[in-house]
Amino acid sequence: MATDANLSVENDRRWVLVVDLDRCTGCQACVVACHAENNIPVVGEKQAAYGRWMHWIIIQRYWEGEYPNVKARFMPVMCQQCTEAPCEPVCPVFATYHNAEGLNAQIYNRCIGTRFCGSACPYKARIYNWFQPEFPEPLTEQLNPDVTVRTRGIMEKCTFCVQRIRRAEIDSQAEGRILADGEIQPACVQTCPTSALVFGDLGDPDSRASQLARSHRSFRLLLELGTGPGVIYLKGGETNV
Amino acid sequence: MNRDEDTLNNNPLHSTFKETMPKTLTRREFLKIAAGATAASGLAPAVRSIVIEPFVQPPEEVLPGQATWYASTCRQCPAGCGIIVRTINGRAKKIEGNPLHPLNRGKLCARGQAGLQVLYNPDRLKNAVRQSGGRGSRQFEPLYWPEALDLLSDKIAALSNAERIAFLGGLMPSHIYRLATRLFETLGAAPPVIYDLQSALEGRSAASQLSQAFFGAPDLPVYDISQSDVVLSFGANLLETWMSPVAQSAAYGAMRQGGMGSRGLFVQFEPRLSATAASADEWIPVRPGAEGFVALAIGRIIVEERLGHVGSHRTQAVLYQNVDVREMAAASDVPIETLHRLARAFADADRAVAIPGGYLAGQRNGFSSMLAVQALNLVVAQVGREGGVFLSNPGPTAALRQNLPVNAFDEVIDLIVRMKAGEIDLLLVHGANPMYELPAAAGFAEAIARVPFVVSFSPFVDETAVWADLILPDHTYLESWGYQVPSPGADRPVVSSQQPVVRPLYDTLAAADVLLGLAARLGGKPAEALPWEDEASYLEETVGELHGSSLGAYDARTPSGFWALWRQYGGWWSEKKIRREPELTEVVQTPLPISDPQFEGDPEDYPFHLYPYSSIILSDGRGANLPWLQEAPDPMTTVQWGMWVELNPKTASALGVSDNDIVQVESPYGMLEAPVVIYPGIRPDVVAIPVGQGHQDYGRFAQAVNGSNPLVLVAPVTDPGTGALAWGATRVRLKPTGRKQILARLESLDGNGRESLG
Repeated sequence: MATDANLSVENDRRWVLVVDLDRCTGCQACVVACHAENNIPVVGEKQAAYGRWMHWIIIQRYWEGEYPNVKARFMPVMCQQCTEAPCEPVCPVFATYHNAEGLNAQIYNRCIGTRFCGSACPYKARIYNWFQPEFPEPLTEQLNPDVTVRTRGIMEKCTFCVQRIRRAEIDSQAEGRILADGEIQPACVQTCPTSALVFGDLGDPDSRASQLARSHRSFRLLLELGTGPGVIYLKGGETNV
Repeated sequence: MNRDEDTLNNNPLHSTFKETMPKTLTRREFLKIAAGATAASGLAPAVRSIVIEPFVQPPEEVLPGQATWYASTCRQCPAGCGIIVRTINGRAKKIEGNPLHPLNRGKLCARGQAGLQVLYNPDRLKNAVRQSGGRGSRQFEPLYWPEALDLLSDKIAALSNAERIAFLGGLMPSHIYRLATRLFETLGAAPPVIYDLQSALEGRSAASQLSQAFFGAPDLPVYDISQSDVVLSFGANLLETWMSPVAQSAAYGAMRQGGMGSRGLFVQFEPRLSATAASADEWIPVRPGAEGFVALAIGRIIVEERLGHVGSHRTQAVLYQNVDVREMAAASDVPIETLHRLARAFADADRAVAIPGGYLAGQRNGFSSMLAVQALNLVVAQVGREGGVFLSNPGPTAALRQNLPVNAFDEVIDLIVRMKAGEIDLLLVHGANPMYELPAAAGFAEAIARVPFVVSFSPFVDETAVWADLILPDHTYLESWGYQVPSPGADRPVVSSQQPVVRPLYDTLAAADVLLGLAARLGGKPAEALPWEDEASYLEETVGELHGSSLGAYDARTPSGFWALWRQYGGWWSEKKIRREPELTEVVQTPLPISDPQFEGDPEDYPFHLYPYSSIILSDGRGANLPWLQEAPDPMTTVQWGMWVELNPKTASALGVSDNDIVQVESPYGMLEAPVVIYPGIRPDVVAIPVGQGHQDYGRFAQAVNGSNPLVLVAPVTDPGTGALAWGATRVRLKPTGRKQILARLESLDGNGRESLG
């Protein structure tokens, strides 16, 4: 059946996330939306100070210049879903692998917590569960039933909200139609007040993400490492007035 | 065999048919068949349908595992964004923006995203309580609701004079305000006083007075950022917490890359580089309180040099007749060349807008500064034009137009004076936390002690509820009814609807239902004025006025149909864009006032300006009990779970302090200690402290943070022009303590990165 091709592992989808730095205001809406969608635990002040925070997406802030000619720039960074992901070959148990849609996926119940993948990742996008997550009652009610709660000793990271991708694919298949561009919105994309984030299929040349990826402003992080990132950044501009 | 026969033969009933269809039909047989047919075909009315009852009964509307989305309104700040909430098995699981809502168009900020943790907060009150060990004891004894209402209505009935009751509220859903106002009116008491820190920091009452002065209406202006080529923002943190941050952020995104061809010029004037200024093309560190001077100088330059394409500026010359550009430049610390350059850019733009923000309203010359900024829109003829200034649409019907006004700080001071004088016997507090939110020096703590009976409606034990005799916890917003006319509004008339997306988790009671219950108990006039059975029936009646409106994006044939659609869509709005063009008043024909800022504290003793700013994460502190928000890093400093003092690198080195060194900050009114964050984007004479931490109560997550409330430093002074709190008008001094407190920061100060990857 024609619709089955959409779900087949032989499709030529390549999910990408476009981040328009000209729109990003650093507001943290994506960060909180990601926590809410993906059941990411909160570690508290003391552990956060050790660098054990667990955000799957962070907004890096860079200062440029000195007072009074000072500027601050924001850059959201999450797992770049690399084509040649450095985290994959180092995993001794194949917990991190590459799926056919270009997603760099993590199998939680295979992970034994060597943290090799975290060391190999040049973007420092991988997060380790140092502790058993705690959700004081009734905060357990906030948990998303579509997403596993990870236990202590497991690596995790941004999945491009794979549960949403799968749901949209299954729904469109059930309804016998082709998945429309923009139908899949990861939590960060959906909430972003300035629409700085756009998600889509790079395999479809007409998708909004593809169009933006062809912009003269587009670049990728640490491209020289040969990782082939699936997150495409659009340069923030200067005004020439 | 014809087709009919074929159908007949393949029919499962075929055999029956054959048996009952003998070749020849006798009368007796016919009757027999007829009777059987009646029994078979007339089943519907005769047969009883019996449903099998399972042992475990799920709630009726719930399909196991199937998500249902309910539309409502966010109450994390007063903006009134539409939300849709994903519920599974009767439990709220995720909040998203309502894609149909004209204000936020499916988008939501960090605070809106964290709303589930208000609902599921482990520190919520689960029922009405009385403080058994006396006020401040934090020992609570549960109270049966009818008993609690009896107790309160007895207190009201026992008042010697209706003037002895007071209601202090924050920005609450409109129906609660209207019911409270109605109840108080029939009692003969003064109307509720509406004041919270959020509205003080964004300068809401001053902005309303500015509209009144300029446009003859109290509705807040809507600045059309998305269509603007040049935006001059004077202390408006419009991408963070000011007014309607999600709508403004969406407009900002559209201005940058929305296909207008250019990405616009956005200039921010303020003493500290805020997250909004970080997104601006230029940040101009103006001397505190001198923002109005910049606007006056720019206006004067445009008028004098006949800049732009407006034609003659002759009618506006009078506005600037007393302005000396050189003086203004010196007073504001902005070079004349910069003023000329920006004046030219502003006047030459096709569409330009100037925005007077909250920091201006927080100065003692606030109103004259705001007038000067608003006048710029007039000079470039941007009032009521695309990319310029519009007015918020008021509510579409008479009842909905009665939006709650925000009182100026002056009126809160009046209430405090009356409380101190023992003139108030009964104080009701809803949606505000004055013990935390008012400057400590305003004396609210002392005043509340003089009030014999205090009632709080807070769902949490906050700093004010601790001083209440009775806490009647309201539902949290995801369990509540309500409506709101967003102000500032969208590009069309909008009324947002709020409805429970889940059943109340605990034995809490809607504040509106408490008011209705009180009215019924009091009988007489109050009962006549508030005859509704419950808040939902009141809402249905109020909202019903919109039924049949020709503007609406939808309409129904019956009122109940309309009521259903109203809840389904999360409100009512006009189908078409309808912008309200302001009409100018005669204020624009007199010279603009020029008034110098004044500060509390001698500059010799207190060399720095204090800048307490609204946190993008915690806003005015109401988000401090939500772990998601506490864990989210501040965008500029990347601090999580903390509170700090921002110093310019030069100031810090002169003081001999560095990151994480604790300094003592002292004003003529109070003192606090906090660790330093070296901040490159702040004037050397300014000390900035985020508002929101330093909670003594308000739950485990708020209390876990080692921080202080900067309002202990703030002088309780006002801008005589508006009566608003001049929260930016205090001077402070700094003293190193020699101690350290390591802040949790996302940013690695030593460049070594995170320990987890070391």
